[in-house]
Amino acid sequence: MIDRSPEYRLKKAVGVTMMLVLLLFAAVPTLWALLLSVRTPDTIFEPIWESPLAVTLDNFFKITRSDFPSALMNSFITAGLSTFFSMLVGVPAGFALAKSRVSGKFIASWVLLLLRMAPPVGFVIPLFLAYVNAGLIDTYTGLVFAYMTLTLPLIVWSMWNSFSQVPDELIEAAIMDGASLGKAFLLVALPAARPGAVAAAILGFLVAWNDFFYALIITRSSTTTAPVAVMNFISYDSVDWASIAVASIALTLPILPLMAIANRYIVQSLSGAVKG
Amino acid sequence: MSLNSKKRAGATFELERGYRRMIVPAIIAVAIFAIVPLAGMLALSFSDYHLIRGSNGEFGFRNFIKLVNDKRLMNSVYVMAALSLFGVAAQVIIGTTVAVGLQKIVGKWRLGRVLFLIPYAVPHVAVALIWLSLFTPTLSPINAFFDLFGITVPSFLTSQYGAIFAIVVADTWTNFPFAMLIILAALQGISPDLDEAAALDGASRINTFIYITLPLLMPALLMVTLFRFIDSLKHFPMIFVMTKGGPGRSTQATNFYAYVQTFQNSNVAYGAAIAVLLFIVAAIISFYVARLNQRVSS
Repeated sequence: MIDRSPEYRLKKAVGVTMMLVLLLFAAVPTLWALLLSVRTPDTIFEPIWESPLAVTLDNFFKITRSDFPSALMNSFITAGLSTFFSMLVGVPAGFALAKSRVSGKFIASWVLLLLRMAPPVGFVIPLFLAYVNAGLIDTYTGLVFAYMTLTLPLIVWSMWNSFSQVPDELIEAAIMDGASLGKAFLLVALPAARPGAVAAAILGFLVAWNDFFYALIITRSSTTTAPVAVMNFISYDSVDWASIAVASIALTLPILPLMAIANRYIVQSLSGAVKG
Repeated sequence: MSLNSKKRAGATFELERGYRRMIVPAIIAVAIFAIVPLAGMLALSFSDYHLIRGSNGEFGFRNFIKLVNDKRLMNSVYVMAALSLFGVAAQVIIGTTVAVGLQKIVGKWRLGRVLFLIPYAVPHVAVALIWLSLFTPTLSPINAFFDLFGITVPSFLTSQYGAIFAIVVADTWTNFPFAMLIILAALQGISPDLDEAAALDGASRINTFIYITLPLLMPALLMVTLFRFIDSLKHFPMIFVMTKGGPGRSTQATNFYAYVQTFQNSNVAYGAAIAVLLFIVAAIISFYVARLNQRVSS
């Protein structure tokens, strides 16, 4: 049905305008950060239209001489390790929860959700005290352990969800053919749930990568992560806005390809129903 | 019982034992990494532990009695409620609007949806810093733009409601794409036949949306609202970076207040008591979400 009445056109114009305004809202801050990152230090407080040519790449070189790159490395290491260990423990657990008939599945789903939703301040107070006593403040081990409180529940939940979508018959058939449960898991179920596993690993990495709170409390200078290290560009009497913009871009860029891969699984794993 | 079924029962038993063995490591890990700290939090909340003075070994309900009369706690709850209410409402409304708009876009413009997703990829500290720069009058291009017309944009971060507004804006910017993603997925599950049937019956587009699309979107909207609401209880980086809880205590949400009591005032036991309070709220909501999930899947 093709409607070309003036009324239809007006409505369409309103709709398009609304979308453009929202697009502006979504895009302006990103563009602004990109612009800040290439402004020369002495023109950064001038409106762009007064000195449109005062751009430089120096800010990017300057930041390589700061502590920020090593903080980025720390972020990669701790987010990577906590994701790896959580996958190691969480993927088999997700499989078993999806396929077995153990009791207490509702409790399990509640605990997993609760751990993801609980305010981190509750975890961090006892962790901080325990770490001070155990000498784990400002160590990779301490931070990886802390991140596992975030990554493990998320990964078990996502994998539970992914394995629920693998048909039971597939695993039953493999076991009928004489495969052990371990083999059925590794050779049949896991390959079938591989996209879900990739997404779970990405989601785990993202929550650890984005963390600010844990790193703020339990790291000092040597294992500080990038989100905390950005704050070093703010000093008592001045703010290095150009470096902050460069650092924000450096924090976001590694995530973009991961988001592109995981985006449709984000929807599934966050809202998807867990089948019992 | 025939021999065959006995054998099968034995095999099922074996299988279930195998499954249990796969779950045990995760249970141990969750116990160590999560349950133990939570038990620690609970124990601390009944203690009198102070980061500098240590403890006199007294246990009791003192902290919880103090909570009841704490005006700063009440203030923090109001702040949290304001941030959650306005933030979640804005995210759900903008997210749904964009999703409905994007769904109508077909062909090569479809790639445009990536533009709406970028804010979701930016880590919260970076979100806070970018919006801090946009709310800094001497730096902000928004202020510079309005100056051209002789309009002075007020400094939001130095006024009580302005600061709350600023945090809501930053939070909405980075989180509306989450609502958008889920609503978009839900919209794709709704048959276009329904829209067409309504149009043939003479229903206007707006009526079709309100009476047909919206009720079908309800489960997704509920899910988004709950998830975003729970996350909004954890507000931290944006407050820490943009306002430090100020001006005064006007953006000191409860989670941030627990941090202030614990790590700035060294009042660990009292901070833990506030954390327990937040934890109970999270426990109730997650129980509800888990029940909801169970119903959806059965």
